[in-house]
Amino acid sequence: MKINDFAVALGLMIVAFFAAFVSGMDYFHWSWMGGDAAWESGRGTDDLYIFIWQFCVFWFVWLMGFVGYFAIKYRRRRGVAPERSPSHHTMLELAWSVIPTIFLVIIFFWGFWGYMDKVVAEGNAEEISLRAWKWQWEMTYPNGQTSLISGEMSDGQVQPYPIFVVPEDYPVKLRMTSDDVIHSFWVPDLRQKFDVFPNRYTSYAFRMDPLSEADKQNTEDMFPGGFRDHRVFCAEYCGDMHAEMAAILRVVSRTDYLSFLDTGGFIPDSPVAFGEKLYTTKGCVACHSIDGAPNTGPTWLNAYGYDVPLASGGTVPYDANYIRESILVPAAKIHAGYPNQMVSYQGRVTDEELDAMIAYIQSLSDRGPQPLSAEGEEGADGETTEGVAPEGEAPAGEGEDAAPAEIEEESNA
Amino acid sequence: MATIDSQQHTRPALADRAVPRWQRYVPGHHWKNAHDEFEGAKIGMWLFLTTEVLLFAGLFVAYAVFRMKYPEAFINGSHYLDWRFGFINTCVLLLSSFTVAWSVRNAQLDERDKLVRNLFISVVCGGVFLAIKFIFEYGPKWAEGKRPGSLFSYPNAENAYEPIWWGVYYGATAIHAAHVVIGMALLTWVMVGAMKGKYGPKHYTSVENVGLYWHLVDLIWIFLFPLLYLIH
Amino acid sequence: MTTVDPQSLPAEGHGHHDEGSYLTPRGGLWSTIWDWATTIDHKKIGVMYLFAILFMFFLGGVAAIAVRLELWEPVRVAADGTVTGQLFQLPGAGVAENNGLYNRIFTLHGAIMVFMVIVPSIPASLGNFLLPIVLGAKDVAFPRLNLLSWYIYLFGSVFAVSSILFGGVETGWTFYTPYSTTTDADHWRVVAMIMGVFILGFSSILTGLNFIVTVHKLRAPGMGWFDLPLLVWALYASAVIQVLATPVIGITMLLLLFERLFQIGIFDPALGGDPVLYQHFFWFYSHPVVYIMILPAFGVISEMIAVHSHKRIFGYRAIAFSSLGITAVSFLVWGHHMFTSEGEVAAAVFSALTFLVAIPTAIKVFNWIATLYKGSIALNTPMLYTLAFLFLFSIGGLTGLPLGALATDLHLHDSYFVVAHFHYVMMGGTIIAMIGAIHHWWPKMFGRMYNEFWGMMGCVLVFVGFNVTFFSQFLLGTRGMPRRYATYTDDFQFLHQVSTVGSWILLAGFLVHLFSLTASLFIGRKAPPNPWGGLTMEWETESPPTTHNFHDDPVATHGPYDFDDVVPPHCDPADYPKPAPLPEGTKAH
Ligand code: HEA
Ligand code: HEA
Ligand code: CUA
Ligand SMILES: [Cu+2]
Repeated sequence: MKINDFAVALGLMIVAFFAAFVSGMDYFHWSWMGGDAAWESGRGTDDLYIFIWQFCVFWFVWLMGFVGYFAIKYRRRRGVAPERSPSHHTMLELAWSVIPTIFLVIIFFWGFWGYMDKVVAEGNAEEISLRAWKWQWEMTYPNGQTSLISGEMSDGQVQPYPIFVVPEDYPVKLRMTSDDVIHSFWVPDLRQKFDVFPNRYTSYAFRMDPLSEADKQNTEDMFPGGFRDHRVFCAEYCGDMHAEMAAILRVVSRTDYLSFLDTGGFIPDSPVAFGEKLYTTKGCVACHSIDGAPNTGPTWLNAYGYDVPLASGGTVPYDANYIRESILVPAAKIHAGYPNQMVSYQGRVTDEELDAMIAYIQSLSDRGPQPLSAEGEEGADGETTEGVAPEGEAPAGEGEDAAPAEIEEESNA
Repeated sequence: MATIDSQQHTRPALADRAVPRWQRYVPGHHWKNAHDEFEGAKIGMWLFLTTEVLLFAGLFVAYAVFRMKYPEAFINGSHYLDWRFGFINTCVLLLSSFTVAWSVRNAQLDERDKLVRNLFISVVCGGVFLAIKFIFEYGPKWAEGKRPGSLFSYPNAENAYEPIWWGVYYGATAIHAAHVVIGMALLTWVMVGAMKGKYGPKHYTSVENVGLYWHLVDLIWIFLFPLLYLIH
Repeated sequence: MTTVDPQSLPAEGHGHHDEGSYLTPRGGLWSTIWDWATTIDHKKIGVMYLFAILFMFFLGGVAAIAVRLELWEPVRVAADGTVTGQLFQLPGAGVAENNGLYNRIFTLHGAIMVFMVIVPSIPASLGNFLLPIVLGAKDVAFPRLNLLSWYIYLFGSVFAVSSILFGGVETGWTFYTPYSTTTDADHWRVVAMIMGVFILGFSSILTGLNFIVTVHKLRAPGMGWFDLPLLVWALYASAVIQVLATPVIGITMLLLLFERLFQIGIFDPALGGDPVLYQHFFWFYSHPVVYIMILPAFGVISEMIAVHSHKRIFGYRAIAFSSLGITAVSFLVWGHHMFTSEGEVAAAVFSALTFLVAIPTAIKVFNWIATLYKGSIALNTPMLYTLAFLFLFSIGGLTGLPLGALATDLHLHDSYFVVAHFHYVMMGGTIIAMIGAIHHWWPKMFGRMYNEFWGMMGCVLVFVGFNVTFFSQFLLGTRGMPRRYATYTDDFQFLHQVSTVGSWILLAGFLVHLFSLTASLFIGRKAPPNPWGGLTMEWETESPPTTHNFHDDPVATHGPYDFDDVVPPHCDPADYPKPAPLPEGTKAH
C-alpha cells in the first residue's frame, strides 16, 4: 500500500469515528427509544443499545466509505489496465478478525450482566401473581385483590384492558402463568419481556422509578398521590386478538398502592388465608406439619426458598414450580427420607387453589416473599410475616409531598 | 427421460440377450466410469443415512428430555412392555440384516439364486417384525387404552404422565415401523431386479445401497429396544 | 421457453457437430412440454425452479403488500360500532375474525417466503444451473434425484398453497405450540401446511445431497479444492447444512402433526408435554436454515464482485473457510431465538456463541471490500446489486448484534426490530443477491442481454424502496411495536405509513425488473458467451450452453480468479488489458 492509501483509510476512519460520536447524542437515543426507560436496569439496557449502535455506525460508515471510494476511484475505464495488488495479507486479515472480536466480547458481557440484572429479582419483593389467557391478563395481589379493568370503553378501544397498579420504587416480582397458550409480558418502558407459559411459572422482576413531580400532579380519585402509566403488550403471538392483548401498568405511590389493595374492590380472601383453609380441607394436614414437627411428609415450616434434598440424590430449589409439581405429580421429586406415598392432586385442585397453596407455604417460610407493608422498608432481613397479608395500617396518602410513609415496627412472630 | 440418454452412449451389447443385464450396464453419461458412479452413489447413500440418523435423533432427544422430567412414568411405561416381543423382534431384524449383507456378497459373486433367496428372507423378516409389532404389541395395548396423549384411557395408570410415555413410544416405534415398510418395498424392488438379472459383480449399486438402508433400520431398532423395553 | 432463439450459438469452432442449446425445442409444443416435464438436464430443472421460485416470490410479495396496506391505519371501533382500519371486513365478522384474517396473511407471507422462496432460492435455481458447469461436469451426480426433488418441491408447495385456497393458516411461520396444535377447529389447513413444510424438507435434503456428491466426484480434471470458484464452496457449505439440519425439521413437523391429529402430548402442556421443547426443535433447524439462505448468496456475491471488478478475490482461503466456519457454528446458536423462554445458563451460552458466528461473516465482508481495491469496477446492474448487498446485508447483520446481546434482546425480541433485522438479511441479503445474480447469469441462461438502463433503474427503486420500508421498522421496534399485530397505538402510525409507502416503491422496482427481463427474452440483444469477462467455466461454453454443457470435456487450466494473468475466454484482449508485469524480484501472492 502506498502512503496515500493509508491517508484515505485514516480519513475514512476519522469520519466513521465522528459519525459514531455524533450518533451517541441524546437525539439518537430519543429517536430510537422514544423516551427514557422507567427503571434503572432499563436505562442500563439503553446504554448498551447505544453503545452497540455506535459500534455499528462506526464499522458501517467506515466500510461503506471504502466501498464508495473504491467504486468511484477504480471504476472501469476502457482499455486501462488495473494495477496489481496483493490478494492476501496475513496481518491485515488477522487484524480484522481479532479487533472486532474484542468488541464483541465486551458486548456479550455487558449484555449478560444487564440480563442477570433483570432475571434475578431483589430479595423480599412484593410478589404479585399474573394470569394470562386468550386474550386478557389479570393480576392477583398478595391479599387477593385483583387488577382493575379500564372503565367505560372510550372511542377507539376495541376491548377493555386491565390496569395493573404497582408501587413506585419498591421491588416487585410477577409470578406469571397462562391458562392456554404462550403469551409474553412486555413493558417497552421497562425494556424487558418474559414469556408466560401454560405449564409453569416464570417471573418478571422490576422496581419502578419513583413518581416525578409531574406525575404527582397527575391524580385521580383512587390515586391522590398521582400516577404514571406504562404500556403493556402481549409479545408472543397468541391468536386473533393478540394485537389487542394490551394492558396498562400504573405506577402509584406506596401509600396509594396499599389503600388500593385495601379498598380497590371486592376481596374474596387473601390467597394465604385461602391456602390455610385448604390445608385442612384438602387433607394436607394429615401428613405435613406447619410447625416443623416430623410427620409422614416433610414439614412446611421454613421449607420454601430452601433446597430440597432428593431421594434420587441432588437437590432442587423449593420454589413455586416445585410446589406445583409436588401437588400435581408428587412422585416426580421425592424428598429424601420420606416415602413416595402421596397421591396426585391432578384434576382435584384449581389454579386458584394452587396459587393459594403456594402463597400459604411461602408465608410459612422465613425465605418467603416480603409483601410491601406500610413500613416500606425493603431488604429488612426476611422475617416471616406469619401469613398475614399487610393490613391497612398505612396512613391514608396525604396529597403530593407526603414523605415516605413513616411507620412503627411491625411485630414479627 | 429421453433427453440425454437417447442421444449418446450406444449400448453395444444391448441386443445380445445372452449376456446378463448387469454386464450390459452403462454408467450415466456424466460419470467418468462405473466405479466413480458407484462411489458417488455410496457417498450419497451415506449422506442420506446421516439424515435418517438425525431424524431419529430428534426422537431420542424427546425420549431423553421426558425421561428426565418424568422418570416414574417412563419406568412404569417400560414395565408395560413385554421385553420378549422386543427381543424376538430384535432377533428377526438381526437375521434380516445378516441375509441382506449376504445378498450383497451374492451379487458380487454372481450367485443370482442365492441373491433372490436372501432378499426374500429379508423381506419376510420385515413382515414378521411388523406382524409381531401390530398383533402382539400395538393391538392389545391400544385395546387396553394404553394410548398416546389425550387418547389415553387406561384405567389403572399409576402416573399422571403415562400418556406422554405412550406418546414417545408410539411416536418412535411408528416412525420406525414406517421405515421398515419403506425398506421392505425397496428390498422387494431390488429382488425383482435381481430376478431379471440386473445385478452382478460389475453392477450392484442398488443392492448395496438398499442394504445399507436396511442396516440402518435395524440399527435404529437396536437403540430403541433397550431404551424402551429394558432400561428401568 | 420456446421464445428463445435456439440457434444463438457462436461459431467457436469446436470440433463437434452442432447439438443446439439446451433450450432448443424438441419437436412440437406438446413434446417440448413433455420433454421439460421429464427432463433430467440440470439446466432445465434449474430454470423451472427459477420460474417457480419467482412465482412464489410474487405470491409472497402480494401477501406482503396486503400486510402493509392493513397496517396503514390502526384498527379502531367508533362509538357507534363502526370499525375502521381493517383491510378486510368480512360481512358479519367481528374485530377478532378480521384481525384473524391479517394473521393468516402474514403467516402465509412468512411461510411462502421462507419455505418456498428463500430456502430453495439460489441453490435450487442458479445452483442447479451453474454447479455442474462451473465444475466442468455434464450434470449433477444424480440427475434423476434432481428431477425428483423438483417434483417434491412442486408437490409440497401445492400442499402448502392449498391451505391458502381453503382459507389460510394463522399460526405464524414458527408454528409455536400449543397455539398451533389447538387453533382452528377445522384443522385440515394447518395439517396441510405442516405436511407441505415436511415434504419441502425432502426436496431441500435431496438437492443438498446431490450437490455434495457432485462437488466431491465430478470436478473437472485439474480442478483442486482451492481452484473451485467460491460459489461452489458456498453451495457446498450450505448443502452440508441442508443435509444435517433439515431432518430435524422433518421430525419436528411429524411430531407436530401427530400432536395435532392425535394429541400425543409431547408438546402439549396440558398433558405434561413441553412447548419449549418444540421451540428448541424448531430453531435447531430454523437457525441453521438462515445460513442455508445466506451462504449461497455469499457465493454469488463472491463471483460477481470478482468478475465485475476484474480482480482476483481477496483472501480466497479466508472466504472459503469462513463458509465452513459458519456451517459449523450455525448449529450451536439456535437458542438465541428463545432468550425470553429458556433458562439463564442456556441464554448465556447461546448469546456468546451468537457473537462467534458474526466473525466469519465479518471476515467475508472485509474480504469483499478489499477485493474492490485497485480493481476495474464496472458499474452495471449485477455490480450495483452487489454493492447494494454489501450495504443492506451489513445493516442486517449488524442489527443481529443487539439481538444477540441478552439485555437488549429482552427488549427487542418479537418486536418490529426483529422484523426489520430479518428482512435486511433475507431480503436485503439473499433476495438482493439473487436478483443481482439473475442479471449476472441471465445472458448465460437465456442467451439474451437485458436492457442495462432498466436493470439499473429497477435496482435503484428496489434499493430505495427497501430502505424506506424496513429502516422505519427498526425505529418502530425499539419504540415498542410488537410484531404480528394487526393494529397499534396512534403514535406508531407515522412510521407504519412510511413503511407502507416504501413497499409500493419496492413493488414498482420489481415490476420494472419483471418487464425488463421478460422483454429481453423477446427483443434482447443476443448474448455473447462471455459478456462480463468471467474466468469460471460457465463463460467458456456458449450462451445458452449446449445440452451437454461443453463440446469437449473441459480441463481446468487456470484458477477462477486469475484476472491478472489470463485473458477471459471469448473476449477481446483490448477490453481486458493485463496489468503491467511485476517488477523483477517481487512475488505475486
Ligand atoms: C438470511 C437470514 C439471516 C441471517 C444471515 C442472520 C444473521 C444473524 N442473525 Fe438473524 N434472524 C433471521 C435471519 C437471519 N439472521 C430471522 C428470519 C430471524 C427471525 C425469525 C423469527 O422469529 O421469525 C432472525 C432473528 C435473530 C435473532 C433472534 C431475535 C429475537 O427473536 O429475539 C437473533 C439473536 O441473536 C439474530 C442474530 C443474528 C446474528 C448475530 C447474525 C449474524 O450472522 C450476522 C453477521 C453479520 C454481520 C455482523 C454484518 C456484516 C459484517 C460487517 C459489516 C463487518 C463489521 C462487523 C463487525 C465488526 C461485527 N437473528
Ligand atoms: C425471503 C423472505 C421475505 C421477504 C423477501 C419478505 C418481503 C417483504 N416483507 Fe416479510 N416476512 C418474512 C419474510 C420475508 N418478507 C417472514 C419470515 C416474516 C415473519 C412472518 C411471521 O411472523 O410469521 C415476515 C413478516 C413481515 C411483516 C411483519 C408482519 C407482522 O409481524 O405483523 C411485514 C410488515 O411489514 C413484512 C413486509 C414485507 C414486505 C413489504 C416485503 C417486500 O419486500 C416484498 C416485495 C416483493 C414484491 C412486492 C413482489 C414483487 C415481485 C414481482 C413483481 C415478481 C418478481 C419478478 C422478478 C424480479 C423477475 N413481512
Ligand atoms: Cu397473548 Cu399474544
Ligand atoms: Cu437465528
